[in-house]
Amino acid sequence: MRVVIAEDLFLLREGMASLLKEHGFDVAEAVGDGPSLLRALTSQRPDVAIVDVRLPPAYTDEGLQAALEARRQVPGLPVLILSAHVERLYARELLADQAGGVGYLLKDRVFTDEQFTDALRTVARGGTIMDPEVVAKLLARRSGQPPVARLTDREHQVLALMAEGRSNSAIAQRLVITEKAVSKHCTSIFVKLDLPPSDDDNRRVLAVLAYLDS
Amino acid sequence: MVDMESVLTALPGRLRALGWAAPFPVVMCVCFVYWGARPWTWAVVLAAAAVTLLAPVVAADLLPVALIGFASCAFALVGRTSTLPSGSGTTAGYPFHSVVFGDGPPHAVDLAAGLLMLAFGAWLVPRTVGIHAALARRNSDLLNRVRRLTVTRVDAVDTAAAELRRIERDLHDGMQARLVALGISLRATERLIRTNPDAAVALVAETRENSARALADLRALVRGINPPVLAERGLGDAIRALALDCPVLATAEVDLPRRLPPPAEAAAYFAVAEALANAAKHAGAHNVHIRAAQAVGALRIEVTDDGAGGADPSRGTGLRGVERRLGTVDGVLAVSSPPGGPTIVVIEVPCAS
Repeated sequence: MRVVIAEDLFLLREGMASLLKEHGFDVAEAVGDGPSLLRALTSQRPDVAIVDVRLPPAYTDEGLQAALEARRQVPGLPVLILSAHVERLYARELLADQAGGVGYLLKDRVFTDEQFTDALRTVARGGTIMDPEVVAKLLARRSGQPPVARLTDREHQVLALMAEGRSNSAIAQRLVITEKAVSKHCTSIFVKLDLPPSDDDNRRVLAVLAYLDS
Repeated sequence: MVDMESVLTALPGRLRALGWAAPFPVVMCVCFVYWGARPWTWAVVLAAAAVTLLAPVVAADLLPVALIGFASCAFALVGRTSTLPSGSGTTAGYPFHSVVFGDGPPHAVDLAAGLLMLAFGAWLVPRTVGIHAALARRNSDLLNRVRRLTVTRVDAVDTAAAELRRIERDLHDGMQARLVALGISLRATERLIRTNPDAAVALVAETRENSARALADLRALVRGINPPVLAERGLGDAIRALALDCPVLATAEVDLPRRLPPPAEAAAYFAVAEALANAAKHAGAHNVHIRAAQAVGALRIEVTDDGAGGADPSRGTGLRGVERRLGTVDGVLAVSSPPGGPTIVVIEVPCAS
């Protein structure tokens, strides 16, 4: 799987590159600033890109802008955004094109390499991954309001994991319940939230996020 | 920037002007009473007129001197002329007349000179008064500005000091403690790694968790100092992000085509954040609407909520702090919050347009 990395901190960039090589990824290019990221994305057409939000020259949100621009030119180009902080505003912009293949994670998540590489593979497949912190913020805002308030605690947990982009089997593993129980919870959640049920993981995540963000 | 020096010298300047003007009528009366209308008496009068003419050139603040001086000279001339018996035929004591016209009846020329000066005085009066009033207004504006700057400068220094203390405390209690814990765990891991590998692995996991917590602390700290979206996108998107993160349903209507200086943006941002927090925490609001736009020469933000109202900025420390912080960038905060609501918080920050 070919990966492009955009990260301005040399140590983190090289660290990520060697971690990914260890896990069998092929690092096509590792860049350190916004303009070269956009060039690398459009010329290399990687299977997935790992992009830091803040990049030189201006250290604002060049990484995010370059990623969004690349996705405009190459629709659905899988991008995993890493940042020192997560913002719902940015999450919303990333999800706006509904093309899937986006991830938005805190940099801390790189520490847990399985979680990180799983996320990378999910995004490369066209899935959607949201950082638990973004999901927690979305749920916190909606928790007191009628439809979400009707969910049981367990359903709440399942909804949170679903919004993070986990599959039913991953949710089952995490909550130590059977996959069948998970799908039962899912159906119940979809009914309570009035969301159209769907098998496609990505569609499911987008529906949940769109609902929570409304 | 206001020149404090010029403001502080304004008041004594005006007093000085009065001091300059007062002696003229006195000096002239004394001259005429004691020495009569001799040539050098006239020289004194003309010197007085010259001084009164020059005074405003030297300092605009001395304009009243010109006014009083002219009036004195004019009265001296007119008075002198009118007391002379008509048709006396002498030009003694009438230097204007004798210098310009030689011998002959003095009346008309000196009277004309007096009236001319009086007319000039009349022409000068409204201008002098107008200019002086404008100067006085400007001076009092400047004085008020100095008073306000003095207060807001103290606020700015206090705010900055309090902020530094908070950051220091957060770093000391949060980050430093966590880093110490990391060091201790690593040391313990080092000892255990050969003798008890299982325990060492558990410790490493704990260490990693601690480092994640340290990062979370650091994120929260950074958010409080310089909110990331504000730094990356500016006030407009930062307000949108605040609305998105607000636990109450918040809508934002933002029209800010230009960036403002960072201190102004930060002050406005924290003011909006405080208004939203109050709406959610104290007012029990269900909906909040934020409207931000650039008006003529000022940025204006309105935060309206449908909560219980009754907010009093003089009671809460939050709004007081916001007001002080806004003051340091010449911004103002106005709160309208009748019991029963709605609460409207208006934030205005001047900006060059």
